Amino acid sequence: MAEPLTQTILEKPMHAPAALSRLRSALPESLRAHLRSARELDRDLRESAGEGAFPTAVPVLDRLLDGGLPRGQLVELVGARASGRFSILLAALAAATGTGEAAALVDLGDGLDPAAAAALGIDLERLLWVRPARLKEALAATEMLLASGFPLVALDLGLPPLRGGRGVESSWLRLARTARAHDAALLVGSPYRVSGTAAAAVLKANRGRAAWRGGGVSPCLLDGFSARVELEKCRGRLPGQSEEIRLLVEDLPRPALPPRQPARPAAVPERRERQEQVVRPFLRAASA
Amino acid sequence: MPRIACLYLPLFPLAARLRSEPELIREALAVVEGNGNAARVVAATRLARAAGLRPGLTLPQARALCPKLVARPRDADCERAAQEALLEVAEAFSPRVEDAGEGIAYLDADGIERHYPGPSPELEMGRALMNAAEAASLPARAGIASSKLAARVAAGLPDPPVIVPAGEEAAFLSPLPLQRLAPEVDVAETLERWGVRSVGDFARLPPSRIASRLGRLGRELHSTARGVDPRPLIPREPPPAFHEGMSLEWPLVALEPFLFVGRAALDRLCQRLESRGFACQRLELEMRLEPDGFQSRSVVLPAPTRDVKTLLTLIRLELEARPPGAPVAGFTFVAHPDRPREAQLTLYGPAALSPDKLASTLARLFALLGPDRVGSPRPVDGHRPERFALVDFSPPPPPEARREPRAGRGLLAVRVLRPPVEIEVLTNGAPEEPEAAPVEVRAAPHTEEAKRPRVEGPVKVASGPWGLEEDWWADDPAGRDYWDVEIAGRGLYRIYRERATGAWYADGIYD
Repeated sequence: MAEPLTQTILEKPMHAPAALSRLRSALPESLRAHLRSARELDRDLRESAGEGAFPTAVPVLDRLLDGGLPRGQLVELVGARASGRFSILLAALAAATGTGEAAALVDLGDGLDPAAAAALGIDLERLLWVRPARLKEALAATEMLLASGFPLVALDLGLPPLRGGRGVESSWLRLARTARAHDAALLVGSPYRVSGTAAAAVLKANRGRAAWRGGGVSPCLLDGFSARVELEKCRGRLPGQSEEIRLLVEDLPRPALPPRQPARPAAVPERRERQEQVVRPFLRAASA
Repeated sequence: MPRIACLYLPLFPLAARLRSEPELIREALAVVEGNGNAARVVAATRLARAAGLRPGLTLPQARALCPKLVARPRDADCERAAQEALLEVAEAFSPRVEDAGEGIAYLDADGIERHYPGPSPELEMGRALMNAAEAASLPARAGIASSKLAARVAAGLPDPPVIVPAGEEAAFLSPLPLQRLAPEVDVAETLERWGVRSVGDFARLPPSRIASRLGRLGRELHSTARGVDPRPLIPREPPPAFHEGMSLEWPLVALEPFLFVGRAALDRLCQRLESRGFACQRLELEMRLEPDGFQSRSVVLPAPTRDVKTLLTLIRLELEARPPGAPVAGFTFVAHPDRPREAQLTLYGPAALSPDKLASTLARLFALLGPDRVGSPRPVDGHRPERFALVDFSPPPPPEARREPRAGRGLLAVRVLRPPVEIEVLTNGAPEEPEAAPVEVRAAPHTEEAKRPRVEGPVKVASGPWGLEEDWWADDPAGRDYWDVEIAGRGLYRIYRERATGAWYADGIYD
């Protein structure tokens, strides 16, 4: 006589998905849809609450984070210099302010150029820019902003050496709890891991590879760069996914990035000719 | 016939003091006027009166009757705040309010009774007036009549509110003792000798004889006794600011006790602002110092707020930054009102920030970081990337419907190094040549100590120069040659050479 299925599952330890699959196959058709693992249930709940996610309008990031920055969660974006971290952060702010939401940037590195930010699509009227001098002030300001109802708060820690160290883990946990309590999305950009266990998701942007146009006898021009963004941690998902992000200097249709150029002596372009051809983004934005 | 309501605060000096120090309500408290042993009791709580205290007793006499007596001097700041609060209660009912001083306010009650349906609308209105005063910590009584005098006398009677029907003022006053009309002392003595005891007795005397015997004062009193009060209601101009303060029992030298007392005053101030639909745009603190002196502080708020915690934090920071330097014997908070920010809720669009919360958060951020570090960024005219402007953060209302986010443009941003990092650059030509390209970047010697990012390494690719000239007519002209450089293993930088000095700086990282 065949032993009952439940008894088999309880008595013989087996991998959870296998057990679930076996249990599901043993159930009548009408009941199968109601059987879900804890992970599936968690995902369903997040999706049903999912108006929550803040699309960053950076497709790579939205794919890695299942639709955008989750509301009520702390997401940490780790990246060294020239990794595209600041660009991603500003893109998230541009997407949020573009939908009509207010957003706040706590800028410990004091690295925002308002003209360039406007050129990137940030609605400056909806952006509150806070420029703390130390990490302790930055954390306090972030907590205040989360508690005041800002739906998206971006905290950028700037470049190392960080003024004020990494902060204690309890303060990051406190920020995560505040974000959860007020259903706000908190994006922390840092040069190295700082938030410990408080982050619901951690993305790592590796140093980018620059792409230049021209070269040889023709003038050399920065075209953009590409970096690889990797999901280091995400609650309810397996880490390790990575995608390549490509950032351009100008908003123009361009061919695919050329292969990496070998190091060569610096090119010296003819000045007048260059000035006619090229308009730098920050110059253009400021004069617009 | 006009209808006038009177709000009357019995034992006004005592009521004003208890409003500022409500914890004394269960004590045997006496408010005294004068100095030292010559101070005389003006008013006392029920507990003290039960021990035999009466107005006019000297302080030693009062202490002899009641050894546990708590004595407080009359406090002009408390009384002014209480009087203002009483007037504000009245103004919540009628736009025409007269300030009669010393705990008395008249208001034009004509037609207001229509808001109180029921068998006796004026009685309901009187109760509502008293309840509103009670909510403002003022145990006021109300009386309603067709003249100010009758309303005032009605408010002073037991079992308030007392309503005097229109045209029945004389009949209402008639049985009352003559002291209710508060006659002058010599007139009162004369009438006492005549055997006139009640208002009605006096009213029945012939007017011409009264005028010839008692003069103008007697004639006016006689008219009053007959219910004739020709004084019109004189509405007051609303004050431009709200005051709340008190004299301290003993001078305070530490900040914490001062803030403890100040918090209660700010609580009352914010309640008054809220009752009028205002918020505080500028808060002033006036301090009376011991032994002789006066100091004031002013805190300008980024947005009108009535959050006590925020206001107290700002006052704390202000006093920590600039202590008064002498014991504080009394203080007054002056709130300059403004309309609070309002937000229209939307059904389909993104939620707007709560104006109150935003105002208090901005104020706290100002206090934490300073006003030059919080705001909405704006570009300024010119090309220098390190320049910017900050304006007050006042976001426009959210759109009526949520907009879909636009597809990302995938643009590379520059992280500005503010101020620029000084570097040393080797070029492939003479240093003074503007078109000599960088081949190696070295960190300036003091970069480590200044805790600035190190920018150094051999240049893989350099792109430039792009000239920048600005303000050549001004005192601080800018002439720069910009280069984009890729430093091996260090990233992409934007560097420039100052034309005037030949010095090199890194002012941005492509990040």
